[in-house]
Amino acid sequence: MNELIPLMVIVPMMAALLLSAFSKFNKVIKCLALVVGICLPIIPLASNYGLHFFGGYQPIMDNVTNVIYHPAITYSFDFMQQIFIAMIGLLTFLVIFIYLTKYKKASGSYLFLLFMGTAAVTALILTDDIFHMFVFFEILALAQVGIVAASSIDYSYEMALKYMILGAIGSPMMLLGIGFLLAMTGTVNVTDIVSIIRGGLLDVTSPVFLLSLGLIFFGWLYASGLPPFHTIKSGIYSKAEPHGAALLQSFTVISMISIVLIMFRIYSTLPIFEVLVVFFSVVAMILGVSMALTQTDFRRMIGFLAVGELGFIGLGIGLGTQYALTAGLFQALNEIVITALLFIGFGAIVHATNEVDTRKLGGLLAYHPKVGIMLLAGGLAMAGVPPLSGFQSKLMLVQASLSCGYPELSILAIMVSIATFVVFVKTFYSMFLSPKPHDLEVVDNEVPKAMVFAMAVLLIVIIALGIFPDVVTSGISNYVGGLLP
Amino acid sequence: MRLYDQIFNVVKKFKELFSPGPVTNADVSGSITAEIFIIVSIVIASLLLRHISILLAGLVTLILAIVLITNIPLIPKFKLEQEDSLEKMLFYAVLVLGLIVIFLYWGGNIV
Repeated sequence: MNELIPLMVIVPMMAALLLSAFSKFNKVIKCLALVVGICLPIIPLASNYGLHFFGGYQPIMDNVTNVIYHPAITYSFDFMQQIFIAMIGLLTFLVIFIYLTKYKKASGSYLFLLFMGTAAVTALILTDDIFHMFVFFEILALAQVGIVAASSIDYSYEMALKYMILGAIGSPMMLLGIGFLLAMTGTVNVTDIVSIIRGGLLDVTSPVFLLSLGLIFFGWLYASGLPPFHTIKSGIYSKAEPHGAALLQSFTVISMISIVLIMFRIYSTLPIFEVLVVFFSVVAMILGVSMALTQTDFRRMIGFLAVGELGFIGLGIGLGTQYALTAGLFQALNEIVITALLFIGFGAIVHATNEVDTRKLGGLLAYHPKVGIMLLAGGLAMAGVPPLSGFQSKLMLVQASLSCGYPELSILAIMVSIATFVVFVKTFYSMFLSPKPHDLEVVDNEVPKAMVFAMAVLLIVIIALGIFPDVVTSGISNYVGGLLP
Repeated sequence: MRLYDQIFNVVKKFKELFSPGPVTNADVSGSITAEIFIIVSIVIASLLLRHISILLAGLVTLILAIVLITNIPLIPKFKLEQEDSLEKMLFYAVLVLGLIVIFLYWGGNIV
């Protein structure tokens, strides 16, 4: 059943091309998008774990050194990939469902961007080839720009253009770093590069090797929206349609963990790699949450909170132990679900009020109690309140940093969680509990049912992961054990 | 109440410049929380330097605490540097790239 592994990328990519080609036939593209959306979470769940070698080029054994080389572009599919691809598939389905029910006339080009983005992140998390990773990183960046530019929100073009211009710095730097790595090792296969490094065939203190780390690391900062790219990342979330923003943030999280895991495998022999990851994660946590505290536009506020939460993921990866890496990846999974719920929920409020300023809102609990309660649960999950999923992953991260001998990081993580809680309580009070302003008109009393359905599905996942974290963490822990030297 | 009034005035001026609308209690309390959060978190993060040198950690923590507290309110300054201006974003991107490459190229094998 390993034939299903490449299909995880090919199916959304083919769907994207077909939707774009047949965009004039509204009913056809709506049906196709829905069917493919349903298939996306099913394919990874039906597939067996294993490797896929494109072109059928099997690994070659060097009889002299007993080292195995991989001439093909290789996809590696394990529990970690399965759970993340299934989750991104579920989220893509929900976003497509919301989009198709919202607009009578579907845009083939917009659906193309959504599916192409999904195909790109799926390839990113599957690939064992660093150049292949770069190609899909570029495709993903362009899809993200397109999703933002296609939204009907004011200044979305401007923000998309700024993101693309900054990408023009981040992407070439990453490519240059990959080029240095290729020049030193003669291969772009990550497993082969790791074998060369562990076999002592490469001087890891060489300036060129260190420079390649710096350049790829900078590209990773751009992909993941860690400082100095946190402002633009939160900006593009706030200028995209709410369902688009829900998908964009999941793209960011997946690209963040895919690239950092490849970097971890190659550069974990250098202690400075972990120092850098922890440093930028701490800065992201501090800047993200402090900026969120001062926002009055709730879409921007969630954007900054999402950036701050990325810091937690980086913290887990940077600490570098099996438990910390598991906690970081579990946090990544939780963030995908929780932030998607918040973006969709706040999108429902924008739909009902046409207002994004928390100071001009109030009394919405009486109009939209279901949305309010589900948003409250999502916000509490993000702040790390038990028994929701965010609590489990943040507790693991606090324990991991304590056991690594960094109590300062534990204190910081707790402080950031408390500040996140403050942000959310402040916003929830302003929007739902404070008296309704006289001039506020609730335009549409009915929140789209598709949005409520999507929020309910995501909330079930949050509660399930909070009560039964072992379902995911044990599998991730086994996967992480295989990555460590 | 001096700190509250000081922050209130800053938030009011800030709102006039960037986001017209009434200044609410929630805005001011949010800014005060952010202010305290930034100072405390940066000071705690600087304690991590104790893994390099305890003396260095002590000095840096003390200097940072004094500099940060004497420069209250910090949030408007932080917010001004993190607005949606492309020039500022590009400046910080290039600055960080330069710092990473310099730090790794000349000091990467030391840590």
